[in-house]
Amino acid sequence: MRKTGFLYDDRLLLHCTGSNHPESPERLEAVYRGVEEAGLFPRLTLIKASPAKLKWIEAVHSPKHIMRFEEACLLEMGEFDHPDNQMCRESYETALLAIGGLLEAVRMVMEGIIDNAFCAVRPPGHHAEMNRALGFCYFNNVAIAARYLLNEWGVERVGIVDIDAHHGNGTQHIFEDDPSVFYYSAHEHPSFAFPGTGREFEKGVGAGSGFTLNCPLLPGQGDEEYMAILERDLAPAFAEFKPQVILVSAGFDAHVDDDMSDLKLSTEGFSRIMRKLVKLADAYSEGRIISVLEGGYSVQLLPELIRNHVSILLGL
Amino acid sequence: MFIDKSMTKKVVTVGPNDGILETRELLAKNTFRHLPVVDEENRLIGIVTDRDIRSAMPSVFLDENETLKERERLAQMKIKDIMTKNPVTVTPANTLEDAILLMQKMRVGAFPVVDREGKLRGMLSIRDLVRAFVNVLGLEEPGTLLCIKVQERVGEMKKIVDAITEEHISFGSILVSRYWEEGKRAVFPYLLTTNVAHVKRKLVEMGYELIDPMEWTLDTLPRPE
Repeated sequence: MRKTGFLYDDRLLLHCTGSNHPESPERLEAVYRGVEEAGLFPRLTLIKASPAKLKWIEAVHSPKHIMRFEEACLLEMGEFDHPDNQMCRESYETALLAIGGLLEAVRMVMEGIIDNAFCAVRPPGHHAEMNRALGFCYFNNVAIAARYLLNEWGVERVGIVDIDAHHGNGTQHIFEDDPSVFYYSAHEHPSFAFPGTGREFEKGVGAGSGFTLNCPLLPGQGDEEYMAILERDLAPAFAEFKPQVILVSAGFDAHVDDDMSDLKLSTEGFSRIMRKLVKLADAYSEGRIISVLEGGYSVQLLPELIRNHVSILLGL
Repeated sequence: MFIDKSMTKKVVTVGPNDGILETRELLAKNTFRHLPVVDEENRLIGIVTDRDIRSAMPSVFLDENETLKERERLAQMKIKDIMTKNPVTVTPANTLEDAILLMQKMRVGAFPVVDREGKLRGMLSIRDLVRAFVNVLGLEEPGTLLCIKVQERVGEMKKIVDAITEEHISFGSILVSRYWEEGKRAVFPYLLTTNVAHVKRKLVEMGYELIDPMEWTLDTLPRPE
């Protein structure tokens, strides 16, 4: 069994999105319920959230964006940059707490205190751009973790695997010209799903050319196609890139019963994917893999999906 | 949607007495393929394309002596000898639709844009049109595409737009495919939101038939063995 870190902090429930919004605190309650009911808490190394240092947010986002978000929360403007981005007074603090917890998990992995980690963060991050909030995301959690690895830990090659049903436009754009971060995403084809980016021919720019890889999937595709593209595209790409750490943008909305996407992954399909990613981390990154929650909106499905996800990290 | 907003204003031009070999080098150094030919007062008198220049080059099948003679002849030739006089033009007050229909009809890749005095004001190429329509289709804004089958009846579009607007969702664009089925059109609203599940349910409840993207893709999915 491995030592797996688990970000656990009730304060992440405080980011509220109003009634009727899919990105709700109930999702996080469902995550915790899943872990609890499976009796996994005693086996996990619990990590508490703490406010992230602004310098790490600034490593990805413009100071103007950070200030505007803080202001919008303090003034209780209710939404930020787009009506989809519902927030409340506590959202800015919550976002900082989530990132702080994630960076602590990263630190513990790099120091060998734990082998890997799962951070159920709210709000999600992969749609957030350097200067714009989008798709329920305000700060790009995974991008910040990647910059932390590069700048603080001297890591030279970070691999990001984004399995959320929607393309992580923010993460891709932030590292588009950076050869030290490989961004891989499998998502519903942009002609049929938000945010309309992540086409096959988007492969990076300038020095980062060849370090972005997009695998759009058609509506209706599921387990078979996912495993096929991971074998055909991700495995050889990582065999060549040899990431020293793998970060996973773990969205669970590609599930057949999650109505935020037309993809049809099964519960077992998610497990197969995660086992594959853990294998890749063992092969290239000394097992260092940190998984971060993105989307996944079915409060009924999340407990089982997270239970399986965390069990795989634990090596059970 | 006027041409003067989308055209390229800084245009490289050549004169009627410029040499062909120099012009060939000019084209080789740049990515454009059409050069307007203008007089000293910037009035358009013709157009020369990289195809015209290539046609004027000596054939690779000639022997050495013949090639030399050809090259001497070429060194004397001027642009006015190979250019197309009276090319198809548009004016800054023409619309993008004019340009796109004209391009389809004339099968050319670019038009010089001239004013009423015949002076060159810019060039409008297929690339400029692509850029303008990417913008108009809202392709670079994040959103989700819906596909709705609609009866060919006045007022149907308004019902759909109202239903979506009631949910406080804004539109990137709306496209209509005219000949989807007998008596029916397909309407494609591009909605600037990620959250469309409840909008789709609402439209279905109102009696609309949503085109399931999975139907389109069904024939691309692998058949079960």
